Amino acid sequence: MSLLELKNVSKIYGDLKALDNVSIHVDKGEWVAIMGPSGSGKSTMMNIIGCMDKPSLGEVLLDGVDISKESSKKLTDIRRDKIGLIFQQFHMVNYLTAVENIMVSQYYHSMPDEQEALEALGRVGLRERARHLPSQLSGGEQQRVCVARALINHPELILADEPTGNLDETNENIVLDLFAQLHREGTTLIVVTHDPEVAEAAQRTIVLEHGRVAREIINENFGK
Amino acid sequence: MSKRKMYLRMITASLLRRRSRMLIALLSIGIGATILSGLVTIYYDVPRQMSAQFRNYGANMILLPEDGVQLTRDRVEQAMAAIPGDSLVGATPYRYVRLDMVSRQQSFTTAGTDFEQVQKTSPYFHVEGRYPEGRREILVGKEVAGTIGVRVGGNMELTYKPAVMADAQDLAAQRVPGALLGGSAEGYNTALVYVSARLDDEGKIAAVEVDASLQTEEFGGRCAEPEFTNRFIGKTLPLTLGEDVDAMSGATVTSEAVVQALNTAVRTEKAVTAADRTINFTVTGILETGGEEEAYAFISLADMDAMTGEAGKLDVTELSVSATQEQLDAYVQAVADEDAGVAARLVKRVTRSETTVLGKLQALVFLVTAVVLLLTMICVSTTMMAVVSERRREIGLRKALGASDNSIRGEFLGEGMFLGLLGGVLGALLGFVFAQVVSVNVFGSSIMFQPLLLPIAVAVSMAVAAASCLLPIRRAVAIDPALVLKGE
Repeated sequence: MSLLELKNVSKIYGDLKALDNVSIHVDKGEWVAIMGPSGSGKSTMMNIIGCMDKPSLGEVLLDGVDISKESSKKLTDIRRDKIGLIFQQFHMVNYLTAVENIMVSQYYHSMPDEQEALEALGRVGLRERARHLPSQLSGGEQQRVCVARALINHPELILADEPTGNLDETNENIVLDLFAQLHREGTTLIVVTHDPEVAEAAQRTIVLEHGRVAREIINENFGK
Repeated sequence: MSKRKMYLRMITASLLRRRSRMLIALLSIGIGATILSGLVTIYYDVPRQMSAQFRNYGANMILLPEDGVQLTRDRVEQAMAAIPGDSLVGATPYRYVRLDMVSRQQSFTTAGTDFEQVQKTSPYFHVEGRYPEGRREILVGKEVAGTIGVRVGGNMELTYKPAVMADAQDLAAQRVPGALLGGSAEGYNTALVYVSARLDDEGKIAAVEVDASLQTEEFGGRCAEPEFTNRFIGKTLPLTLGEDVDAMSGATVTSEAVVQALNTAVRTEKAVTAADRTINFTVTGILETGGEEEAYAFISLADMDAMTGEAGKLDVTELSVSATQEQLDAYVQAVADEDAGVAARLVKRVTRSETTVLGKLQALVFLVTAVVLLLTMICVSTTMMAVVSERRREIGLRKALGASDNSIRGEFLGEGMFLGLLGGVLGALLGFVFAQVVSVNVFGSSIMFQPLLLPIAVAVSMAVAAASCLLPIRRAVAIDPALVLKGE
């Protein structure tokens, strides 16, 4: 059963077709990587899937609902309820502690629950760093806080944009292990990356080139 | 944890953990609130302050007798019960009479007064030398001093001649049976002769006393002797010399003066002699005012009472009252209500200019306050604008995490108003200090703290802070959440 389906989606900026008649689908519980060089349309696709932009043409079905024509206010609601975001630059509120950063996500979603937020931090192994400000955390620790923040509201889909782009290998492995753990628990993961190693961790890789789907690679070694 | 608690936690964290930036915003709000509350304090205190200042420009209220009433110290005292003591700066009684110089043919208006009070109601009087402090001391107006050529430290002998009543009917009314009459007239070489006469039950002269001590002793001086004074007994006023009474031989001028003095004599309480009516004053000071006071001389009320033999009589009392126009009007009514035969009048020249100047000053302070508010708003707005651009990424992140536009608005407005609250409290307290400094330096007196000003200052600075945030918030709301994905 597909959670996300793009049907003939195009995004046109003047003469430039950032996305050109793209159709993909992602099943519930699937772990998909989207790869491609700069300018291949990765970011545009990410924005559309993340409910932060709308396609010029085509349909986007998220959990069976067409989100391609929704107002930006409605898109905000959908993003809040269904999607957990992880960014390359981590993006924490710099004057809030680790646990408070997670609670911000709860605050916008429903109710802040410090206990639950602390448990989420425990999952990413940062329970004892809960009262630290972002400036007191390493890059890898910050990204782990962001992973905890992305899962705190139990989203249907976790959308990660170059999640390991600013991390060293050790931390990259920690984050990928966390993804694997989430996958085992049934979370749908879409990871946008240009790092082949990160892409290989996924079940399936969609390669974009010049705004089109160039090819799809099924990872034969997945889970081995 | 409730949403509200988290909201407050985020706002306070934003302010407390991002100190330097917020300190600038707080400072601008605080300074704005300081000047605002300072100016408002001054605005409300200005009438009080200026009222005290205006008291330097002379009396603003005078007490006059009602028609047909003689003003006395008792009446004035009764009337003044209507005016609160703490707003009364000074009350100066005046009794005006004409006094003659003994040695020459000069006379001028002299006021009996209370010099301590004069200095309170007329602080602008300039005295060369000093104010009189005791009996037999005189303050002479510059014009009088020039005319008679007297200087500080000099002496001048003055004498009181009761006003001559020209109306025969009025004079006849004085001659009631049993009355004691007193009078004076110019004798030889214009020196005064004083007489007093007691009337019997039929209105005829029972006894006469003449004080001719200022006349030449061996001639006019003899008119004081019984040989002459007995000639009047049993006679009825008025008299004609040569017909009713014969002149003293060799003293015709003085005899004529005695007759004239008796004919113009008025009722008195005690026989007044030349010694009582004449005082040799020491000039302690020359008065310069640039006004009509320079044509007068001033002596103590005690001397005045002694010379006139009319203790307690006054002509006018000048009051200096520290009050607003409305209060003054109320006091005028209250004086009338005392029913003391005294009417209060406002010195319009003074009270009007007070009201005008106060109005202008308050308008000025109001204008400055408005300008300061505007500047504060611009300053806070600029700071918040900088805060928004500095926090673009954070705002984008919040929106990406699902913050609605209203959440973003609420958070920034909350921060702004929290700053307004802190700045307002800070400003209200510092503003009082500011007002105090201004007041002490400009008006030379301290200011009263207005407790009501604290909540007002806080409310205004919160409102100003909120208003200043409107434009920055519009910018914040317009930020695209997608910016957090672009790896900026």
